[in-house]
Amino acid sequence: MITKTTVLGQTYQFRDLKEIFAKANEDKSGDQLAGIAAEDSRERVAAKQVLADLTLADIRNHPLLPPEEDEVSRVIEAGINEKIYNEIKNWSVSELREYLLSHQAGESEIRRISRGLSSEMIAATTKLMSNLDLITAAAKIRNITHCNTAIGQQGVLASRVQPNHPSDSIQGIKAALYEGLSYGIGDAVIGVNPVIDTSDSVKDILLMTKEVINKWEIPTQNCVLAHVSTQMRAIRQGAPADLIFQSLAGSEAGNQAFGIDVALLDEADELMRKEGTSTGPNIWYFETGQGSELSSEAHFGIDQLTMEARCYGLARKYQPFIVNTVVGFIGPEYLYDSRQVIRAGLEDHFMGKLHGLPMGCDVCYTNHMKVDQNDMDNLGILLSAAGVNFVIGVAMADDVMLNYQSTSFHDIAAFREVLGLRPAPAFEKWLEKMGIMEHGKLTAIAGDPTIFM
Amino acid sequence: MDEQWIQSVGIDVGTSTTKMIVSRLRLGRMSSTFSLPRYQIVERQLLYASAVHPTPLIGADEIDAEGIGAILAAEYERAKISLSAIKSGAVIITGETASKKNAEQIVHLLAERSGDFVVATAGADLEGVLAGKGAGAQKRSLSIQGTVVNVDIGGGTANAAYFYRGKAIATVTFHVGGRLIRLDKRGMVQYVSPNIKSWLMAKKLQVQPGIQLTVEEIGEIAGEMVRDMLDYVTGRDRQESGLLVLGHQLRERIPVEELSVSGGVGQLMTDRPVHTMAQVSEYGDFGPMLGYVLQQERKKGTYLLRWIDPEQTVRATVIGAGMQSTKISGSTVHIKPELLPIRNIPILKLELTAEHLHDSSRLHSEVAAVYDMGQRLFERTTEIPFALSLSGIRYCSYQQLQRIADELTLPYRHQFADSPTMVVLCELDMAKALGQALELRCKGKPHIICIDQVRVEYGDYIDLGEPISGTIIPVVVKTLAFDEHTSIKGGTR
Amino acid sequence: MEQQLEYLVDKVVAELQKKLSERARNGSAKALGAFDGSESPVHVVEEERGANVPNPKWQEGMQELLDSTPARIGVWRTGVRPLTRTMLQLRRDHAAAVDAVYGEVQQSLLDEFSLFTVETQYDNTENYLKRPDMGRILNEEGVRLLLERCQKKPQVQIVVSDGLSASAVDANLRDVLPALLDSLTSYGLSCGTPFFVRGGRVASMDHIGELLQPEVLVLLIGERPGLVTAHSMSAYMCYRPRKGMVESERTVISNIHRQGTSPIEAGAHIGTILSKMLEQKASGVKLVL
Repeated sequence: MITKTTVLGQTYQFRDLKEIFAKANEDKSGDQLAGIAAEDSRERVAAKQVLADLTLADIRNHPLLPPEEDEVSRVIEAGINEKIYNEIKNWSVSELREYLLSHQAGESEIRRISRGLSSEMIAATTKLMSNLDLITAAAKIRNITHCNTAIGQQGVLASRVQPNHPSDSIQGIKAALYEGLSYGIGDAVIGVNPVIDTSDSVKDILLMTKEVINKWEIPTQNCVLAHVSTQMRAIRQGAPADLIFQSLAGSEAGNQAFGIDVALLDEADELMRKEGTSTGPNIWYFETGQGSELSSEAHFGIDQLTMEARCYGLARKYQPFIVNTVVGFIGPEYLYDSRQVIRAGLEDHFMGKLHGLPMGCDVCYTNHMKVDQNDMDNLGILLSAAGVNFVIGVAMADDVMLNYQSTSFHDIAAFREVLGLRPAPAFEKWLEKMGIMEHGKLTAIAGDPTIFM
Repeated sequence: MDEQWIQSVGIDVGTSTTKMIVSRLRLGRMSSTFSLPRYQIVERQLLYASAVHPTPLIGADEIDAEGIGAILAAEYERAKISLSAIKSGAVIITGETASKKNAEQIVHLLAERSGDFVVATAGADLEGVLAGKGAGAQKRSLSIQGTVVNVDIGGGTANAAYFYRGKAIATVTFHVGGRLIRLDKRGMVQYVSPNIKSWLMAKKLQVQPGIQLTVEEIGEIAGEMVRDMLDYVTGRDRQESGLLVLGHQLRERIPVEELSVSGGVGQLMTDRPVHTMAQVSEYGDFGPMLGYVLQQERKKGTYLLRWIDPEQTVRATVIGAGMQSTKISGSTVHIKPELLPIRNIPILKLELTAEHLHDSSRLHSEVAAVYDMGQRLFERTTEIPFALSLSGIRYCSYQQLQRIADELTLPYRHQFADSPTMVVLCELDMAKALGQALELRCKGKPHIICIDQVRVEYGDYIDLGEPISGTIIPVVVKTLAFDEHTSIKGGTR
Repeated sequence: MEQQLEYLVDKVVAELQKKLSERARNGSAKALGAFDGSESPVHVVEEERGANVPNPKWQEGMQELLDSTPARIGVWRTGVRPLTRTMLQLRRDHAAAVDAVYGEVQQSLLDEFSLFTVETQYDNTENYLKRPDMGRILNEEGVRLLLERCQKKPQVQIVVSDGLSASAVDANLRDVLPALLDSLTSYGLSCGTPFFVRGGRVASMDHIGELLQPEVLVLLIGERPGLVTAHSMSAYMCYRPRKGMVESERTVISNIHRQGTSPIEAGAHIGTILSKMLEQKASGVKLVL
């Protein structure tokens, strides 16, 4: 393994793979905070140069976080198809990048080799890609999943309607839900973040959303994004859940900070297969986001992009219906400004897709970041062009419970209109039946939430 | 504490039957761990329902207190529930029974014999609402997002309660009930309640003890009565039917989408024919005929509304009383457990506006006016004269809180010097701050009880139970009237 | 008949009063907006929240929806984009949030409560945002000032910090702090020397704890601003704070502002929590409330 290179007359010797991985990243405040970022652009490019020549076998043979020490590493290892890996193990990271971008690599070819790739290999190639590379490669990959309905098809941009309320008022949640539906939002999921993490509260929200789905015969699925164990209690008490949710981290210690481990996820998976209300087979909703491992001091000196890739390695085990990177929620100490957020959104989407995951993105920011709504417009359009499975719809982008801004119902309607994208097929039929949409366009009554009262 | 169960009892002593239920109510945390604590009753389970017993009477107008005591003792035994476990609940003495001469005494006897904090309810309006809740009309009005009226018809009275989208908006009570006219097996009239005499006269119906009626005649009387009541309920006609009304009349016509009939007569609304005198007089009164003619009206569909089956019939009131009467206070309150429970305190309202909060002199005169009214309305007593309810505050700053506390305490200590405790209820979540400010001023003279998140109106009475987990107290608001607008109703305890 | 008349009169009067008070409110809101004096540092312009949907299927229902949530609904659209007014409202609220992050707490307010100021190692706002670790440690001057001016080993130590929203302190301190002090009085608790930390993070409690060794410490700190309000404050409480405390050892009351958790009620309740911490010698998840 060669860890030395010369750039613009200066020689760089890197200590180990961890250092190469970290320094090959585009600039991120989180890597700086962790003290592992490249000193300057020249060192960054040196690291990229070294990384480009490493083989996939080098990466597998020098684990950043050994499987003996971490269960997420074990899950990633166990997910690798040895036959396919053996075919490509001598590829350099550079070759992998070029293959993914080449015309010979179509959807099924990419799907096949992705089974031989570890999360770290995917992270490595991501570090060598420009923003447009990430869009070009991701746009080739369609990962279609089915819960009650199917999403992820070519030409489809689905959406989660996120009708959160600051005190979990059932009426208040309903109000924002009606508004969202009236804009044609909610085909991926009706997903509510509760304030109150009790099974009663979760159950009430699940019951209400299910009631609305049944009453209006909406082809979608419901989910309440409480801690997985709270959802499990609610489901055991008879709450109707189509999807089960959990946030993931890329290390065992990071997951511990979330109060989960693989055993708990397995238990929840089994419970959902027995007690879940949806058709399936995909019954999970995962969320991730760069920086969470650093914030819980569970990153082991590994850069935040690689830790994010490892989340997808873990998610892959459960064949989720949707996965969503909450890209700008964590704050400026991890992603400082719009440049960093846009980059991270494109990276996460591509890495998720290459893992075979139905990737969505919460295109979002908090008010202490150097980001505004224009940046969200940009990232939303870029991801829509890259074929993102779904984005998040919040009334006027302002989440009154989580206190951050995402994409609005209007934004999603605009992404669809500008790029000629459609809601999920079954949902579009329903929108037509309700008179909200005609030939892929919103009608005169769209935007009136009282049609659901 | 994430959750807690409390047991609640309901007892309904009606004109003809007596029944009780035991339920358990679950208090669940409704706030995140990063907020001030807030709890709500999140689940109500029926644990036990007694048989329907005939109400034991001594003579015509006296309830057999010992008899009722014996029924309850046996039922508690059968339900395997100890009195000390009962934390809340309500006793209802319905309809005509309440005007029996020893009703007051019975209520207190029952309240004492049925658990720590079981309160006597007062007034047909509240009973109507509780019956409507027990019958499922409130829930139904929420799910159809419209107006549902439930009429609970028992032996002596019929209580109608209107619910609009889950809220009780009006009530009215009728002299309509099975025991108002009693018959023997041959159709000989044994008794006619004096309460319906003026209506009978206006209708030119000749009914008095000693007259023998045919099945058809009984059908006609029952039919007139039922149609008049329905005319009144739907607002179609309120001339003669108004004579059937007990207490206040309705002012407005309330458009109704659905109607349910509960109570003993509701249970008799079946398709079973009532053609022979034996069928009519099965219970010694014309109740079965009332049920029959109601069923006929339902079939005819003359009234422009949907008839729906109630969730409960004969037990609607008792289930409402046992399961729906208790509310809980906010969880940041100022209380002294040793002062509780406190029963039957009338409400005095202090409705504040922005001007009051910004201008001490205006606040001062408003408080003086309300206290003076309290002195006029309620008898001079060494007990707690009233609970002061603060409303109209949208936001309260610390400075305003100080002003309010100053203005409330000084005159109170002067005008109600004998009162051992000052009880204050706030609509806004501010009871702990206000209670603390009042306490710092009064230092025990009087003691302060200040709770929040309870909505009350003039004319309501309130009962405050013993604290649950030291922070929340069960509250029963006894609404005497659901008036279409709020007016000051005096009256003494 | 008489009753009906009385009812009518009451209704009319009530209606008039409502209109009058609305007018008064609108009027004063305008005045407040124009007069940005020190009397009200946070001017609250309560914009009438109405629906823009031109012909809703159910007008009354529209109001019901608006009343049930602070979410921006019923906003309508032009094509697939929001109306200009809605868009500007969002931009205005975002501006307020950004200002809250980069703003400073008014000196007059700190003087009112005799709070002296110490700083962390945050240096400047950009660095504060990127390096939360530096907001957790007081700078040398701060350490010196604390040791010089503060009572050591107090029963209760009160600390105020701007955190991510200086305007949260401006908006709420006048209500929270005196209610908290009253609450300490009524529980018979004694309080050390309160002060203000500029550029503080939650975990600055630990460093202060090491220096002053209070039995319990409460930190009133500005929260990350949202668009609904940029003035939200949190109270972090801890029993015997010291280096290496974990999040689960802290007790928190968040969302303290006019439209959220009532500041006076929060102040009063903090006293209850602190007295329980002293009783149980614990805080955070171990504390039974």
